[in-house]
Amino acid sequence: MRESTLQLVNYVMIAVLLLTVLLHLASHGFFGFVDYRGSLVYSDVVTRYRQVVPALLLTVLLISASFHGLYGLRNILLEFRSGPVWDKAVSYGVLAAGIVLVGWGLRTVALTATGG
Amino acid sequence: MADAIVSVEPARKRRKSPVGDQVRWAFWRPMNLEKLALFVQRISGLALLVYLFFHVFVTSTVAGGPSMWEGIMATLENPLAHFGEFLVFVGVIFHGVNGVRILLLELSPLVGTPSRPDYPYKVQSLGRGQRSILYLSAVMTALAAISAGFLLLW
Repeated sequence: MRESTLQLVNYVMIAVLLLTVLLHLASHGFFGFVDYRGSLVYSDVVTRYRQVVPALLLTVLLISASFHGLYGLRNILLEFRSGPVWDKAVSYGVLAAGIVLVGWGLRTVALTATGG
Repeated sequence: MADAIVSVEPARKRRKSPVGDQVRWAFWRPMNLEKLALFVQRISGLALLVYLFFHVFVTSTVAGGPSMWEGIMATLENPLAHFGEFLVFVGVIFHGVNGVRILLLELSPLVGTPSRPDYPYKVQSLGRGQRSILYLSAVMTALAAISAGFLLLW
């Protein structure tokens, strides 16, 4: 993928991330709307995963945070050194980390939502 | 004239340390707040990425049933973990607000008008607008620290 496309996707992910992180923090009592400890009770957590909107919010948050974080890491690592081997190693390494992270998170959402 | 040059000492090779270079760059004179803010932005971003991996792993225990979830929650019920959550919340707020400033600079609405470089050679592209967002991010981080302090550490 072209670098300009990746950067454009990153801008979209940042916009999504700003909204979803605020909602995520709000749902865990960081802005005083709900009780922080209460939001971590097992039944409440599972309820959130089994409702469509919160589960969707978590999924979007997972994908946007993973992309933005790993894309940022890739940019920092590419600034450290340069060369075709290093570039490829960093890009594929970051991609692999992203697949593991998003895959693991989606597995949790799917298993909890379906009660499996 | 050429005979006068007896020997030229080869430049001493400096050991390259990319992380050290980043730190030196941030604190090297001339110091400015924007350099420091970008350094903190990177550190907070990397720390939040490490936390994201940890967070996804911890929340995955919810799929293992109530006993597994309660077990990991009990493990994390300690002052060190609460302090970690405090740092994450403060880091998220700074990274978010300062990130908006960087985004607006990159997309150019906050870039100042170019002018002749006069002493003390201030960076003309860094206008007053972006500086006020930088101050706002510092204030919001302080407020987040107070709020998270009450919520998590009290």
